[in-house]
Amino acid sequence: MRSEAAVPPLVEIDSLTIRRHREALLDRVSIRVPHGSLHAIVGPNGAGKSTLLLALLGQIEFDGRITLNWRGDGAVGYVPQTFPIDPTLPVTVIDFLALTRQRRPVCFGISAAARAKAAALLSRVGLSGLERRPLAVLSGGELRRVLLAHALDPEPELLILDEPGSGLDEASAQWLEDTLAAMKQSRRTTIVMVSHDLERVRRLADDVTFLHRGVVAAQ
Amino acid sequence: MTAFYAWFADLARRGLLPSDFQYPFLIRGFLAVLVLAPILGGLSHLVVTRRMAFFSAALGQAALTGVAIGLLLGEPLNAPYGGMFGFCLLATLAMVYVKRRATLPPDTLIGVFHALTLGLGLCLLVALTRQFNVHQVESVLFGSLLTVTDADLLMLVAIGLLVGVLLVREYNHLLLDSLNRSVANVAGARSIYLEYFFAVLLTLSIVVSLKIIGALLVEALVVVPAAAARNVAHGTRSYLLWSIAVAFFAGAGGLAVSTKFLVPTGGAVVLAVSAIFFVTLAVRALGSRHAV
Repeated sequence: MRSEAAVPPLVEIDSLTIRRHREALLDRVSIRVPHGSLHAIVGPNGAGKSTLLLALLGQIEFDGRITLNWRGDGAVGYVPQTFPIDPTLPVTVIDFLALTRQRRPVCFGISAAARAKAAALLSRVGLSGLERRPLAVLSGGELRRVLLAHALDPEPELLILDEPGSGLDEASAQWLEDTLAAMKQSRRTTIVMVSHDLERVRRLADDVTFLHRGVVAAQ
Repeated sequence: MTAFYAWFADLARRGLLPSDFQYPFLIRGFLAVLVLAPILGGLSHLVVTRRMAFFSAALGQAALTGVAIGLLLGEPLNAPYGGMFGFCLLATLAMVYVKRRATLPPDTLIGVFHALTLGLGLCLLVALTRQFNVHQVESVLFGSLLTVTDADLLMLVAIGLLVGVLLVREYNHLLLDSLNRSVANVAGARSIYLEYFFAVLLTLSIVVSLKIIGALLVEALVVVPAAAARNVAHGTRSYLLWSIAVAFFAGAGGLAVSTKFLVPTGGAVVLAVSAIFFVTLAVRALGSRHAV
């Protein structure tokens, strides 16, 4: 029988270095995130936290090595730090959620299956009934929940959250904490989260990496 | 096609269609508007969402240069498609390539291309005056119904179908990529591919629209329908339908005005689409007032 210690972590980051204009945004950062754990990345503004997430998502060039040891289908969920929306954009919540849940262009209408899936996801994040509301008129907290709903389907093996609590009122922040705690409990999803909220990080995280000016200051 | 035009003319003589439909050039114009409305209206709402209005303007200018190059290379005056497609596609690929690699803001870079293609086009047009009367290329600048041929119409239908089919295949990824590139990438959309893909579709559509709308005015029909639609639409579906409807009514209205008052078709279409925009703006303002 294979021991737990022999199982490679889901995320292995080795000597990750990212430079822009000769300046190192990240310098030889190494992190291990075991399956089913919640790993928090903290640090002041400009520490390189969001850059690290972009590297993890494969959306930025880097030196070093990032290995993802999937157990399942390798589904990734991502909630970005910001999601700017043009205030006149008439894209509704159901349109947005249907974009990746049906092959038919959403401008030709939403399929019954996508509609049912979106309703279930909105119910899961406590936003039932908001399907027809334009994204542009959602509050910051509602938009975060919609983005989280989008990231939760298909059930991600790796969930990447960039400041998920920023701009949330206390009730929404508590809801987020409860949701993440429940996901952690299930052990099916590995979570990498950037956060400024050290108190919640202390309650939720299994491991914490503290970044300062692009280097790991503490782990 | 002759039998088709004769059938239309017969309907017009029997009073089932407006009397103007006795003339084949008007039937061609109307059919062109019927095809153009879904192409440009459909692209329009993505152009505005992807913030490519200035890009479209630069493409119109590039088409002008393409016409000049085509004519200088010996293409026929009424169909310099080789020059237009060739130069516009080249300019499109160059703009997207440089925009993706440069650190300057995209509108600044497109401004550089805009100026470059316009300057080149003007120089080449002056050179052309040795071979042609420059008024002969006026139709490409401002659009003209009289110069639209059956071959132009067939080209418009063929490109329209191609653009429609390709757009349907990638629509959801294009819209998600417009909203947030990182989220779209995680969902499997390839941003680089989508950027080139959409720019090429836009280029093809603009080039086939030029004889109706004109190089200097085509930008209006790929931007204003969506801008007007945003004032009244609720949801992606109505956004698309309003964009197409606005493009159609502007095209048909512009056609009627152009025929009645003998003004360039492109100018009349742009005036019509602008009028519709201001009407929708007023509707939105009234709606907001009632909502308060």
